[in-house]
Amino acid sequence: MKTARMLVVCLAVSAAPAALAQKWEFGGAGGYGFNTSKDATRPTEKATAKIKPGVAGSAWLSNNTSLRWGGEIRYDYQRGDLQLKQGSTEANFSAETHAIHYDFQWHATDADSASRPYVAFGGGVKVFRGTGTEQLTQPLSRFALLTKTQEVQGMLSIGAGIKTKINDRWQFRIDVHDYITPFPKDVITPNLGTNIGGMMHSIVPTVGISWTK
Amino acid sequence: MELRMLRKSTILALAGSLLMTGAALAGTFGKVVPIGGAAADVALDEARGKLYVANFTGRRIDVMSLATNTITTSISVAAQPSSLAVSPDGRWLLIAHYGNNTAPASPTNNITVIDLRNNNSKQTFALANPPLGLAFGIDNKALIVTTKDFISFDPSLGTTQVITTITEQATKAIPQPAQSAPAQFSQASVGASADGRYIWGFADSLLFKYQATNHIITAGYYTASPIMAPRVVSVANDGSRAAMGWWMMDLYNDYPRPYAQFPEPLGDLALGGHQIDSARGLIYSEVPRLLTDAPMLTVRDIDNLTVRERLQLAEHLAGRSVMTTDGATMYASSASGVTVLPVGKLNTVPRLEASVEDLSFQGNFCDRDAATQSFIVRDPGGAKVPFTISSSNSGVRLTPSSGVTPAVIKVTVDPNAFAAQKGTVAVTLTITSDTAVNAVNSVRVLVNSREPDQRGTFINSPGKLVDLVADPAKDQYYVLRQDKNQVLVYDGANNTVKATLRTCSVPRGMAISYDRRYLMVGCKEGRTVSVFDLETLQPSTSITTRNANIQSIAATAHGILAVGFDHSSGDWGVYSLDMNTRTGDRLPTLGVWENKVPENTVVTAASNGASALIASPDGSLFVYDSNVNTFTVSRKDFTTFAGAYAASSFGDYVIGNQLFNSSGVPVRLIQPTNGVSSGFTFVDQNGYFVTASDATSAGVISKVDAPTGLGFRPTRFVEAPILPTDLEPFTRTVAPLYSRGSIIALTVSGITVLPSGYDASVVSPNIARVVSAADGVSAIAPGGLFSIYGTNLSPTNVATKEIPLPTALGDSCLTVNGQPVPIIFVSPGQINGQMPYQTVGNVTLIVHTPGGVSDNYNLTVPATAPAIFRAEVTPGAAFPTVVRAANNLMATDTNPVHRNDVLVIYLTGLGKVSPFVENGRPAPSDPLATTVAQPEVNIGGIGAPVLFSGLAPGQVGLYQLNVTVPGNAPKGLGIPLNIVANGVTHTVNVRVVE
Repeated sequence: MKTARMLVVCLAVSAAPAALAQKWEFGGAGGYGFNTSKDATRPTEKATAKIKPGVAGSAWLSNNTSLRWGGEIRYDYQRGDLQLKQGSTEANFSAETHAIHYDFQWHATDADSASRPYVAFGGGVKVFRGTGTEQLTQPLSRFALLTKTQEVQGMLSIGAGIKTKINDRWQFRIDVHDYITPFPKDVITPNLGTNIGGMMHSIVPTVGISWTK
Repeated sequence: MELRMLRKSTILALAGSLLMTGAALAGTFGKVVPIGGAAADVALDEARGKLYVANFTGRRIDVMSLATNTITTSISVAAQPSSLAVSPDGRWLLIAHYGNNTAPASPTNNITVIDLRNNNSKQTFALANPPLGLAFGIDNKALIVTTKDFISFDPSLGTTQVITTITEQATKAIPQPAQSAPAQFSQASVGASADGRYIWGFADSLLFKYQATNHIITAGYYTASPIMAPRVVSVANDGSRAAMGWWMMDLYNDYPRPYAQFPEPLGDLALGGHQIDSARGLIYSEVPRLLTDAPMLTVRDIDNLTVRERLQLAEHLAGRSVMTTDGATMYASSASGVTVLPVGKLNTVPRLEASVEDLSFQGNFCDRDAATQSFIVRDPGGAKVPFTISSSNSGVRLTPSSGVTPAVIKVTVDPNAFAAQKGTVAVTLTITSDTAVNAVNSVRVLVNSREPDQRGTFINSPGKLVDLVADPAKDQYYVLRQDKNQVLVYDGANNTVKATLRTCSVPRGMAISYDRRYLMVGCKEGRTVSVFDLETLQPSTSITTRNANIQSIAATAHGILAVGFDHSSGDWGVYSLDMNTRTGDRLPTLGVWENKVPENTVVTAASNGASALIASPDGSLFVYDSNVNTFTVSRKDFTTFAGAYAASSFGDYVIGNQLFNSSGVPVRLIQPTNGVSSGFTFVDQNGYFVTASDATSAGVISKVDAPTGLGFRPTRFVEAPILPTDLEPFTRTVAPLYSRGSIIALTVSGITVLPSGYDASVVSPNIARVVSAADGVSAIAPGGLFSIYGTNLSPTNVATKEIPLPTALGDSCLTVNGQPVPIIFVSPGQINGQMPYQTVGNVTLIVHTPGGVSDNYNLTVPATAPAIFRAEVTPGAAFPTVVRAANNLMATDTNPVHRNDVLVIYLTGLGKVSPFVENGRPAPSDPLATTVAQPEVNIGGIGAPVLFSGLAPGQVGLYQLNVTVPGNAPKGLGIPLNIVANGVTHTVNVRVVE
């Protein structure tokens, strides 16, 4: 798995030189991420498992391949503790995610426009890392085990945003992404007899700035 | 003020001389510097490096060099220099000459002043009366005490001023019979504090304290029996206390007050001495009890005279001592002149001590093999000191019997040699040396040979235990240790000492105040009653009784009664103690009767405080009624009383083995008596009665129905209770805990704990199954810990922390093929123990209890049977004791095993180890004991390298496997962790993550 993950990264990076002849954009943004929760169900009871909301940060390298099309490779970091909750009982465990993905972008206006709304879609990988301190016991452990480990999941990315020129070199960007991954069952491990399934959405609005050339 | 002191002390007039007593000793402490005469006094001149010695018969002042400890010169002076002192400014040496000559000779009482800064020029001044002593105050003026007055003398002017006159003090005229020592002429001693602010002194009937800063003398007269001796005063650096003869004095409202006394003094004016070491809180003393006592310097705590050390001297001390400012050296007048005692360098002189006070061997009906324990003989300073050691009983063997410190002494006890005694035999181990200077405390070896019907468990508590009181509000009890001046506070839940409280000198009796807040302790050699706050277990203000040694105390609802020796009148009386003023006074009468009771009388109160009983060894008694606050009964229906004494809340009393009604009329004998009465305690309308035939027999406890006096179900327990003696005829040795879950008894070895249901009928034990203690399922291997499940396996629940593990616990023991098995825990349904390392193959296991012997239980013991212990992390959730080295926590689902982790697995059943470890003994740490079999470990089928396989150091029967988790171990919940040893596999499941 570790080898495969590195291969994806290398492919994405190696794709970049082909676009260097076009107009480039390098930027970063900050925001806040929200994650959808999942039910952890046992035969007679259930709890909610999720990654709590947390601050997010991104960095990207984009290029425009045509007047309307472009693409970018993007790294996203998000804080978000693992959480199990049933009524007033909850278990928390420090965690974070790292994602790297390539998105295709279609802009609603031409490249020289002052304002360029766009939509994006693409894919990549997301690394979930449990970083908390392991304890002998954990509340609600009959549902799931919040674990100090890391796992890698494939990720779909869809998003939309708008780029606004500040001057010839700088532009302002607002966007929102939905990162879709399978539920991370290594860091939130369902205990025996517990079902936690489905996909998890991570909605991350960010505000950023980029430098263009 | 009149201070009178009388002391009853029986002195055996044994033949002998002072000189012969010093000859037989081996190593001695200090160096004797003979002066060819009789030293009457010494004075230190540290600035000049000199010690001045008043040579009473040599008519000179011998000057000793502090550097060489030799007499370098002498200063000729007038006849009989009896007292001397150096002024604080170092200029004047003042000498008093005792010249109380009889006709036809004329008196030659005078003083000599030597100017130490002017070629030792001398001036002599005549005195009208014989001088008793002198000392310099901080003002460089000397206080001279004569038989008729106190005189202030200014050496720079040569002027004298009478401060006050006193009743003429008796002195001896010259000549006196042959062999009379200087102290037997003047019969007085005067000494100053190091700061020169206070001067204390005493003569034949006078004692005083002089404050040099305001020239106020506080004086009084006293009488004492035996006479106040040695006739020496030594004063604390700040003058706040002083030792005078066999008295320890302090200041109470600025008046001298005796607060403690040396035990059983001989009363020879010229024999002994003492010196207070204020910096260390000690007093170095020789206050002999008998003429034949060997010369011995005893190091004691200054507050309660607790003996710290006893050092053999070459000869007896014979007068005053002085100490260097740095506390390094004490110079003491002694028989030959001066003895130089390097008290500040005790660690450099050869001494011996044993690492234990007691060694306890609890034999039992399972184990008749010889048992061995060890202790260390060492020098406290770490030196190599040769010694020999011997046993008072041939059943106790010592290896080696001689050696050089530090040395480990193995003590081997043959239980068969003690089989005839069903209690505890105390064997004395005596350590001697030709080199060591101290008197070495002996070691007590306690050998118990109980039989199956003997109940209770004893807990060793060394020393002389003389009283027992249970807390009336919590499961806590108090034991009085007389030889160390301590109250031992025991936690009734686990019978361990939770606090140790320092008492007055030689404590004898205790009582708890009616409000349950304070514990009071009366002392045989102390003039105060120690008081402790039971909430904080800290000392509270003590009760001052001025002239009494309170020895027995009882708290009634109306007030506190006490019995003690009254030094004012020389007899015993009853006192009332006031907790508000913290004072005690002798009652004027006991109701309509005189307040006089015989020696060693005791008092005890009913638990409801309504009444109190006073019992005397001459067979008399008093009853006190709290409702009318007076004594309502005084009777003497017997010629002697001894043993137990108790009062009930229902108006019944017990003395010895006799029951009395509320009128103190004997109503019936407790039947059966079962030996010598030792203890009785009322519980509601009934009671527990404790007796024994003798000190080496079993104890017997009976429940007594007080209305009928019938003792029923007398039950033998493990050892005899403390029995009465001539000196301490009354004993209080049994007490139920507040919760009544256990009964505590003072016994030969210390404490014996009996369950309240000690007399419950018992049935034979029955073994249902025998399994590994680790998981309750696996087989048992040699050296492994195992559990027996069944019924009636023990009458009580007891766990031990004793190492090595005992082979009997809580009245139960077990054998495997006849070999005794070390036991950790017993309860009615379960016994945990260690399978002996020698056991393998088909074996038979038998449990012995007071109820009988179990049927044979046959089982097979394989060479290995690994089983990992389980620990309950949360209720109902047990996990194997697999510990992650990364965070030192047990691996659980929420603390999962990570790939490449190092795991420490605690288990049992890995069989024999190398080097060999004895059964019941902890595993060594150097070298480590490794398993003979080499176990393999895999996780999810992937081999995990074993880093260590052996016994966990310091533990009994507990093995430890250290392994590394393979990097490719499968991940997930419930991954099997397999341990394979000799083809036997044990599996637990663990969670493994990345």
